[in-house]
Amino acid sequence: MKPKAIILRGPGTNCDIETFSSFRHAGAAPELVHINKLVSGEKNLLDYSILALPGGFSYGDDISAGKIFAVKIRKLAGNIKKFIHEGRPVIGICNGFQVLVKTGFLPENKKHKQVSTLYTNECGHFLAKWVKLKVNKKSPCIFTKNLPDEIELPIAHGEGKFIVEDKKIMDEILNENLCSLTYVENPNGSMHDIAGITNKKGNCFGLMPHPERNLFIWQNPDRKTPIKEIQAAGYQIFKNSVDYAK
Amino acid sequence: MENPVKLLNDFAFLGNEELLSLNNACGWSLNIKELLQIQNHFRKLKRPPTRAEMETIAQTWSEHCKHKTFAGPVVFKCNGKTKKYKNLFKETIVKATRKLHKKWCLSVFKDNAGIVEFGKNKKWGLAFKVETHNHPCAIEPYGGAETGVGGVIRDIMGVGLGAKPVLNTDVFFFGRIDSKMKLPPHALSAGRIFRGVVEGVRDYGNRMGIPTAAGGICFDDGYALNSLVYVGCAGIIPVEKIHKKAKTGDIILAIGGRTGRDGIHGATFSSADIVEETSSSAVQIGHAINEKKVLDALLKARDLNLYNAVTDCGAGGFSSAIGELGAETGARVCLENAKLKDTSLAPWEIWVSESQERMILSVPAGNIKKFIEILEAENCEYCSLGHFTNDKKLVVTHKGTPVVNLDMSFLHGGIPKLAKQASHRLPSYADRLRKGRQVTGHKPPKKNKKYYLQILKRILSHSNVCSRHSVIQQYDHEVQGGTIVKPLAGLNQNGPSDAAVIWPHSATGDLNDFSGFAVSHGFNPFVGKINPYQMALYSADEAVRNLLCVGADIIKTAFLDNFCAGNPENPEIMGDIVLAAEGCYDAAMGFGAPFISGKDSFYNQSKDANGRDYAIPTTLLISATAPVQDIRKAITMNLKLPGNPVFIAGITAKGLGGSIYNEIEKSGNNHIAQADIKKAVKLYNAILKTIKAGFVASAHDVSDGGFAAAISEMAFAGGLGAEIDLSNMPREKGISEIELLFAESPSRLILEVKADKEKSFLKIVRGLPVSKIGYATSVACLEIKKEGAVLIKENIESLKNCWKQKLL
Repeated sequence: MKPKAIILRGPGTNCDIETFSSFRHAGAAPELVHINKLVSGEKNLLDYSILALPGGFSYGDDISAGKIFAVKIRKLAGNIKKFIHEGRPVIGICNGFQVLVKTGFLPENKKHKQVSTLYTNECGHFLAKWVKLKVNKKSPCIFTKNLPDEIELPIAHGEGKFIVEDKKIMDEILNENLCSLTYVENPNGSMHDIAGITNKKGNCFGLMPHPERNLFIWQNPDRKTPIKEIQAAGYQIFKNSVDYAK
Repeated sequence: MENPVKLLNDFAFLGNEELLSLNNACGWSLNIKELLQIQNHFRKLKRPPTRAEMETIAQTWSEHCKHKTFAGPVVFKCNGKTKKYKNLFKETIVKATRKLHKKWCLSVFKDNAGIVEFGKNKKWGLAFKVETHNHPCAIEPYGGAETGVGGVIRDIMGVGLGAKPVLNTDVFFFGRIDSKMKLPPHALSAGRIFRGVVEGVRDYGNRMGIPTAAGGICFDDGYALNSLVYVGCAGIIPVEKIHKKAKTGDIILAIGGRTGRDGIHGATFSSADIVEETSSSAVQIGHAINEKKVLDALLKARDLNLYNAVTDCGAGGFSSAIGELGAETGARVCLENAKLKDTSLAPWEIWVSESQERMILSVPAGNIKKFIEILEAENCEYCSLGHFTNDKKLVVTHKGTPVVNLDMSFLHGGIPKLAKQASHRLPSYADRLRKGRQVTGHKPPKKNKKYYLQILKRILSHSNVCSRHSVIQQYDHEVQGGTIVKPLAGLNQNGPSDAAVIWPHSATGDLNDFSGFAVSHGFNPFVGKINPYQMALYSADEAVRNLLCVGADIIKTAFLDNFCAGNPENPEIMGDIVLAAEGCYDAAMGFGAPFISGKDSFYNQSKDANGRDYAIPTTLLISATAPVQDIRKAITMNLKLPGNPVFIAGITAKGLGGSIYNEIEKSGNNHIAQADIKKAVKLYNAILKTIKAGFVASAHDVSDGGFAAAISEMAFAGGLGAEIDLSNMPREKGISEIELLFAESPSRLILEVKADKEKSFLKIVRGLPVSKIGYATSVACLEIKKEGAVLIKENIESLKNCWKQKLL
């Protein structure tokens, strides 16, 4: 049976279709669901095996990126907690990562308080480009398994500077290898070059780069590699979660 | 000025002067012939017009909506001969399309955008539209650009029964940032406009989730007082959804944003000179997320067949949208049902407000409930404004009070035609008189290695050649995951791509269909200043060549035209337009490429600091699209592998007219090589064959900056060097070294051929002007020699650093 993946969207979400396609291509049975339908109870989060929060500008990123969406899904906090606790894979990409940070699900902490933020890029504006990323082989993250030491993904965000104020929390991220992806050349001023983090169990993953834009080798800007190797780093990330959920 | 309301009551008795002053006071931008026509009409009706009726007519008859200059009669005088056009547009651009009669053109020149066939099973259509938003951007760059983008996206959402936008493009023309020109006090500096426009395009396009992946930026002081902002959008639509028709009895449903005071008189204001008093309330306020909600809801309703017609509220607001959709039926509108941002709006203001993010639909009463469910699920606002009738009348009321009662036939067919005079401008002659310079062909002197390198570096860092990364990277050019050839090529994104290639799987939902399309632009106002006819050929040629460079099927190229000029009452400006339009016709026929959509914008002129009229150079933008059969095989411009041979295709011709070299050195050689479309087609078709066979590793067009700039870009984009020998370069006899390196003669491109495919490649291009000129090398150095002597030798890192300027 194909694991059911819920792609949670709202007003202003704009990477939902390609995230949907990525999960389908990786062997899941994805479904696009508007946040209103979870809040109204028409759909139940716990009927799904994978949760994806895609990129975009949810609610226009008014106030700050992902903030209003985060407030909306607070109403579902109990179910999300349960979802993560039971080890079902959760991925937040770009705006989705911002939502996970602003709801306090990442970095993981007992009270689900917001302990970090993704702040305006050092350059002061939106930045879209391909970056090289180091894969932390020691990370418990289930999404980054079997990736090479270094991968390439595009970033596209205005608020991606990862900041943690509390040194204890940052130490934990570093010591427990919760930082699963780091930038080779830091594009936004993130502390410790952090591009993506996970929880201790490794099933809840947030990242600024867009794996759904690098499913196939022909999406790479270099276009030097022969097209025989068709699967790219992004594909592996989705495939890992689908395999894990099976 | 007397009270306009009082004057309106006496409308039937006003003399010419009074009509014109009323027209000015109300901002209608109507001419006297039109005012008299309207007066006559209401005399027959034996009643005065209402304010709202006058507004409706002014909007519908505006240059912006009716394109009366381009579609009107012109008398063109040139070298003692006179040529008369009844309808310039139909006798040039549309004529080519009709003559070519391509069966893959599904909808041309009638809807919001042109539509061509797309995909391998003919299941889809590709809709493409390019608009200008010049006047608003001159007053309020950020808001103007935002709403320009929002508007062209809505054009695509409102084409047929709605297409899904998959690509945005933008092309800007600004005054030079380092300009020394004195500006009048109300004019914004080029830098300020540039920054505002980029931020507007960024904030709207990014929020809509549409990749902004193609375009161009051009700086010239001709645009110092009137910048040009072209915004384009392409979308995918199922073929069975490309026709629409409002039906009698259908409900007129408005969805999206509310109506406010912003954007009153946008359509008529675009025909007026910008002066100090021009009000920025004519510019609308954008809210991208509202439009995104409309898009999400609209596509859902479309796929459930819930409505019979849709169009966007653009210029003229409700008045134009409802007037157009109901042109053949008639419409009854109750304005009190409109959702407002500002309840103090007068009925006529509600009727013509151009508030953003609104669409009008014709919905059968039985489908309303289902439609509203979808709208509410997406948090999208809506209101029902009335219904379509069968009396061919436009009847609008507000709480029972009559607001508009017009015959559709007068509204859409009553506009009088006004002939424009056009004459041939001889700028080269004028130049000669003014500057005492020689116009054609003296041979540029031979120079040394040091000079050539210095010029190459100045060209690469010139604002019209250097890197646009600081702009491009602010746009989310890869959202939807289908931007295959990106605006910046090479892993380190150090090369300017020739065209964007889009794989619209986000619209088709099919990751196993590798059909895509390429989009490119061509423009050359510098050639246009010397010869507007050649400008059209050059621009079309460049657009096609750019498509070829990524491996698109140029046999199925479709063009879009966008003309921008000053006041068309000036016969010389009108003459430029006639010549450029004739060039468009010849280019379309030569390439076998029909025009599918077009737009024009006039009155791009203002008073300069000395109070003189200052018009932009007549500017033609040609946008082009062609299918890419298999996006996996599309190619880019970065050199790929050391040892691969490098070829040049096309003849390098004499003349430095309009070149970057001339901007830097002012050589006085203003000769322009004539484009030969017939020869270009033969050459391009052979090259396309070699690309499709997989023989070509990279390709790049030779244009701004000439050969030396093009090969430098290929080298540093690929992080490789190149050893080039110009001795065998196909060339015009007697050409100088300066021209070989820096001339911008048309129809040329550089190709990197795969080493093991060289023989097969040569077989296909036999007999054509294609020569091997060197190799890609692993040594990161560009060396250009000619007959044993080194002309240029430089480290590619240093060339790249010249190119990689931060424009913003």
